[in-house]
Parts: sequence; structure tokens; C-alpha cells
Amino acid sequence: MPSHAEITAFTLSLEVAAAATLVSLPLAVAIAWLLARGTFWGRQALDAVVHAPLVLPPVVIGYLLLLTFGVRGPVGSWLDRVLGIRFVFTTAGAALAAGVMSFPLMVRAIRLSIDAVDGGLEWAARTLGASRADVFRSVTLPLMLPGIVSGAIVAFAASLGEFGATITFASNIEGETRTLPLAIYSAIQSPDGDRVALRLVLLSFALAVGALWLAEVADRRVRRMLGR
Amino acid sequence: MTGGRWICGAAIALHAAWPLPAAAQPPLTVFAASSLTQALETLGPAFAAQTGVPVRFSFAATSTLARQIEAGAGADVFVSADEQWMNYLETRRLTVKITSTAILSNRLVLVVPADSRATVTLAPGFDLPALLGRGRLAVGDPAHVPAGRYAREALTALGVWTAAEGRLAPGESVRAALALVERGEVPAGIVYESDAALSSRVRVAGVFPVSSHSRIVYTAAVVAGRDTPAARQFVAFLRSPAARAVFTAHRFIVP
Amino acid sequence: MITVDVRKRLGSFSLDAVFAAPSAGVIAVFGRSGAGKTTVINLIAGILAPDSGRISVGDTVFDDTAARVSVPPERRRVGFVFQDSRLFPHLSVEGNLRFGLTRAPAADRPLGFGPVVDVLGVGHLLGRRPQTLSAGERQRIALGRALLAQPRLLLMDEPLAALDGPRKAEILPYIERLRDQFGLPIIYVSHSLDEVVRLADHLVVVSDGRVAACGPMGDILSRLDLQPLLGRFEAGAVVDCVVAAHDDRYRLSTLVFDGGQLRVPIVERPVGEAVRVRLRARDVALALSEPTDVSITNRLPGTVAGLAVRDGMFVDVAVRLGGTTIRALISQESQDRLGLRIGLPVWALVKTVALDNRSLGWLRRTGAV
Repeated sequence: MPSHAEITAFTLSLEVAAAATLVSLPLAVAIAWLLARGTFWGRQALDAVVHAPLVLPPVVIGYLLLLTFGVRGPVGSWLDRVLGIRFVFTTAGAALAAGVMSFPLMVRAIRLSIDAVDGGLEWAARTLGASRADVFRSVTLPLMLPGIVSGAIVAFAASLGEFGATITFASNIEGETRTLPLAIYSAIQSPDGDRVALRLVLLSFALAVGALWLAEVADRRVRRMLGR
Repeated sequence: MTGGRWICGAAIALHAAWPLPAAAQPPLTVFAASSLTQALETLGPAFAAQTGVPVRFSFAATSTLARQIEAGAGADVFVSADEQWMNYLETRRLTVKITSTAILSNRLVLVVPADSRATVTLAPGFDLPALLGRGRLAVGDPAHVPAGRYAREALTALGVWTAAEGRLAPGESVRAALALVERGEVPAGIVYESDAALSSRVRVAGVFPVSSHSRIVYTAAVVAGRDTPAARQFVAFLRSPAARAVFTAHRFIVP
Repeated sequence: MITVDVRKRLGSFSLDAVFAAPSAGVIAVFGRSGAGKTTVINLIAGILAPDSGRISVGDTVFDDTAARVSVPPERRRVGFVFQDSRLFPHLSVEGNLRFGLTRAPAADRPLGFGPVVDVLGVGHLLGRRPQTLSAGERQRIALGRALLAQPRLLLMDEPLAALDGPRKAEILPYIERLRDQFGLPIIYVSHSLDEVVRLADHLVVVSDGRVAACGPMGDILSRLDLQPLLGRFEAGAVVDCVVAAHDDRYRLSTLVFDGGQLRVPIVERPVGEAVRVRLRARDVALALSEPTDVSITNRLPGTVAGLAVRDGMFVDVAVRLGGTTIRALISQESQDRLGLRIGLPVWALVKTVALDNRSLGWLRRTGAV
């Protein structure tokens, strides 16, 4: 029977992963669009920055987040002073860390789906009276949907397993930032924590299987909608 | 497989071509509590110069190291920041009990960032919430890190544990807690006096009365199955006058 | 009036097209593959922007690089039917059809959903998805979708090129219906002279990025100098006729024109209907006197009006029949043997069988163009 702490870790993982995915999604679509269709100076640089979390060690990303969003960091101090918002040691901080780490995965999947949209269909829509924005909303976006869904699922799954950046930036606070990976880590450190660790591992596994199943369902739905 | 054999053959050939000096020995691997980092890194070369045995250190929270040794990590000597974890390994016959020696003590202090102007008197019922404001108290994780355990004991003894319990920022080691205070991410933290002495970016705001927590005892022992003369030598070395002088300089308490 | 005067460079291809055509009826843009036809139509649609020049339809200027005017495609009210239909896969057939309709100003929708669906016969397909339709059905939907966007000009870029013979025959009547019933000017791009002759009143011939000729269909087709561009065995004349009678016994119809009459395989059309007949020069033989014991039914008296040698082995003979001029392609050897010269009376012989329904194009009910 899982303890209160274990259930908390479970629900916190879901909360953090969901928040990270949902909040990143619009930004990921915008950035994927810019990278796929934009021609502007600095596009390569943007591409590199977006992919940094894939290449750099998670602890480094956590550290960079700390430098930027910590109470003494440029962004963090402004947020604290002006809006009274703090990220370190909070669930929001854990979501931020998870979101940053999974962002490149989301952008990649979405960008691929943008590339796959037939430009000819977009021109057809223009000749039928749709403005550029209208074309995006009524043709491009629906056709990108499989990629968006797939990107969101990948990001959600990656967020569930995020550890390095989270523990460095948001710390390991039960009920606030102790997601399943962090809870397992704590259990392993503690004396006689093996039974707890095992239970948490099983919980993580169940979560992963559940997420995968949901992904399958979503994917099938979207494909049906597009008539494939 | 052929690749491995090739490498072995090459290594043997190299060794034959450049034989190592007769006095050289395989290095000693020492797992030590993170609070001992600077002191032991100074003592390592001294030991090597004296005995010809080079020393390799792995510093982390005592709890982490103990669990690693339990899982079979290749440590020769274990230096713990408390007796509890040493007992943990002893019960499982993972140390050579006879070699177990108490080597140091320490004091527990409350630190604040160097530019903080907070002042506090560590007396029973002191106003911890006022000190923390909206921030948290950085400590080693009380669930397993010795420094965290001592901190919990001290705060409980002073009657402020209930106020503190929900306001902690538990780190994986005492050094992690120190780092948070150094960066100003937290208004205060509880670390060893030796840790506070190291950093110019933190200031000691108060020392916890020795009676408020169990005795801080650093113990060293040889790991079971690694009982070599060199390992025993190292444990003995930690109690030598030369070592004690270094520890004192790093603000440890030498018995 | 549609006036085009543009220059556009695409990679190694450069277009310099200048033409003007009346904005009524069907204007065919004809030429070989790679001649620049699609570039021209894309410029008119706004899918491409000219490097320099001006495009205007009626009083509206679409592009004028000198005045820095450029109307975006969505505001040109120009319907476009693509070769590959380009139906939206995420919408149903009805969704596709209504796409342009919902974006047209509500107060200005002369082409209603019901009438267009009826004319194109796609009512039973409304709930389907484009992926489940046949190629022919997809093109009909594409036609409907373009129409329902309430365009004032319809562009078609080789709409039948992706279809096989029977499908083409199936769709052509629908395009004819569009032309006749909705009164929209149509610009029709094709490399098939068959289609062009059947549908168009006006012809713009494009070759190597230039406009080689522009004018009424009959004029262009009879110009000897354009034969290389139109294709040697495609050359011929276009004759405007009227259905005069039907012979049920022999299953033949009689068509009357200014210069004679033609017997063709029976057509399912009422007497009085206007029809355009394409007489390929290769299907016309000549005789110095009327041969009566020969199987050829159509024996028309006329006069030699012109002679031109082609490729050193064929002779292109223009023959005037009353007010109509047709063409006959014969071998140089025959010309030497018959000794044809301008002004000589001759008989033009055309097999009934050669005038199948592919040679016939049906015009507006109001009569010949």
C-alpha cells in the first residue's frame, strides 16, 4: 500500500509533467514554425539554443536555470520584486526545469510535422480567400496536429523522468518538487529505503505504461480525424 | 573479444617496456563525507609522499557513500560524518570493525549569505520564521544526511522544529546546503563550522549549543574485503599529528 | 479585358509574357510542358509575384511593380483549380466546398451552394472524405470549391492532366457546363489541343517563356506560321456548325456550316444546337473532281487558298469552303501529282468516322460565339 509520501510523489509527477507540457506547447509551436519557415538572421543560433538541453548535462541546465531564475538571478529577482513570483523550491520551478529539458523534443516533433504540410494546400487556401493567419489556423494547424500531439506526448514522458535539472534548480522538497525520480533517489540514499524505492519504481512503471496507452489513443484519434 | 585481448597484449608490452618504479603501489580509494573535502585533499598528497601510496577520494554525503559501499562500490576506506552510518555498515559486516576509529568532531552553525544583515540568537524558541521570511532553510536532507539529522535534532531541541519542518530546502549533502546559502537562494542554512569557515560568501549567524544535538563524531574504518596494510595505514594516518594539525586549520575539532 | 505584361525569373527559366484577352468566355493558355504556362497562371493568381510588370483584370490592377501595387491572392477573387485538386484532407467534401464560400462577403454570393452542387452532380458525396474519392470525383469537388469562393475569374491549371481518357471525357462536360451556365471568364491552361479547341474561344500560345500568339481560336488555328508550336499532326481548322438533322436509320447526324454540311456519327443533341467541329488537316483528303464511288461521305467543294511545304515532305493546303477555311495535309508527292495551285477548284474529303465526339465541342445554347 503506497504511503502518503509516495502518492504525493506520484501526483506531483503528473502535475509537473502536465504543467510543463501544456505551458511549453504554444511556445514550441511558435518556435517550430519560425525554425521551419522563417528566414531571418540568427535562425541557426535559435536552433542551437533550443537544442542545448538535449546536448548539455541536465545538471548544467539546472545550474543555468538557477543563475537566471534564482532569487538573485536577473529574471528571478525581477519576478520576485515586481510580481512576487519565485521559481526555486516550488512546483512551478520543477515544471520549469522539466519544461526546459523536454522543450527540444517537442520542437523537433512539431517542426517535422510543419515540414510535412503540403505548401500547395496552403496556396489553395489563399486562392479561396484565406489570409495568411487564416491559412495557418484553418489548414496548417489541423494538419500539424499529429506532430503536435506526438511532440506533447514525448515531452510529457520526458518530463516524468526528469531528474538532474529538477534537483539542481528546484531542490528535493517533499510535496513541492519531489517527483517520482527524486523520491526514488531519496529512497535509495536513505537507510533501508529499498522497499520504498521498489514501490516507487513500480509506480513509475505504471505511470509510463499509462502514458503510452494514452498516447496510442490520442494518436489514433487524430489520424482518424485527418482521414488516414 | 579479440579487441580486448589486443588491448591486454598492448598493455603488457607497454609495461614491459616501461616498468613502473618498484616503490609505486595501486592507489587507495577513500570514500569520505563531503565536509572533509578540502582537508583530505590537502592530506592526500602528504600521505602519498610519506608512504608512496597515492590516494583517490570520492566525496559525497555520508548516506550516499554508505549506500554505494553497500552496493559493492570499490572503496578501501570509509570516513563517515556520524556513527549511525558507520553502524549501518558494521551491522552488515561491510567494514573491518576492529579498524573503526573516531577521528574528529565538529560544531553545527547557522549561516546566512555574507551580505545579509540578519542576526539571531540560537536560544530555545528563537524566531525562525522571521529569519526566513518567504525563503527556506537549507540543510542536508534530514532523512539521511548526518548534518541534516544533527540540524533536525538541534531545531527540535530548541523547540522550532515544527516551524521549520515545512520550510526546509533539503540538499543531498551538507555542501549542497552550503552552496544554496552562498548563492543567496536561501536566507539561511545549517552547516558545519568547518564548512562555514571555507566560504567567504557566508557568515556564521550563530553556533548551535553542543547539547542541542547528538555528538558529531567522524569515524573512519577499512572496508570489508579491502583490508590491506596501506588501508590500515591511512586510517592511522588520520589520527597522526600532521593530520590533526591540518584538520584544526580547517576548523574541525580534534579530540 | 485581362492584360498581362510581366517578367519573372525562376532559376534558369525566364518568362516575358505580354498579352491581352477579353475577360469573357474561355481563354486557353496553350503550350508544351515547360513553356511557362503554369508560371503565367500562378502570376495571375498571385501565387507568384512578378519581377517587373503589370497584371490587371477589368478595372482592377492585381500587380504593378512600377506603382508598387500588389494585391494578395486572398483578395483577388480569383478561383483556382489545380491539376492535383488539392482538396483539404482534414475536411469533408462539404467542408472543402464551403471553405471559400464562408470567406466570401455574405452580401455578395451569387453562386449558391445548392446550384453548384447540382451542376457538378456531387450531392451524394458531401459527407465523404477526399481520400475516399476517385480522381474524377476529386476534380469535380475542386471545381465546385473554386466556384463557391465566388470568384470573378476562374483559373484552371491543366485540370484534366492527372486523369485518364475516360475520366477526362467524364469531366469535360462539367467544365463546359461551368462555361455556359455561370458566365464566368475562365483561363484554361493545357498542353492538349483537343481540350483547348473544345472549350476555348480565345487562345494564348506560350513557347519558351514568351507569348508566341494571342487571338480568337479560329484565327490562331489557321495561321500557318504557328503550326510548329501547335504540333504537326494537331494542325487543322475549327468550324462552327449547327445541328440540322438526325438520321435514325444510319445513326448519323447532319451539321450545317457556312460552306457546306458534314455528316458525323449521331450526336445526342437537339436540332438547332451550336457545335464546334475540329477538322484535323490529316483527316482531310483532296480530289480534283468529286469522286462518287468512294466510301467517304463528306465531299465538300472549295478552292485552294494557300499552300505551304512542311518538313520537306508534307504540304499544308488551305481550302476555302464558302465563308470557312479548312486545312488538308497531303504528301509532297501527291501535290506534285495533282499539281495544286492557288485558285484551283478542289474537293475536300472528310471521313464521317474521323469526326468522333472528341472532335466536337458544344457551345453556349445562345448560339455560336
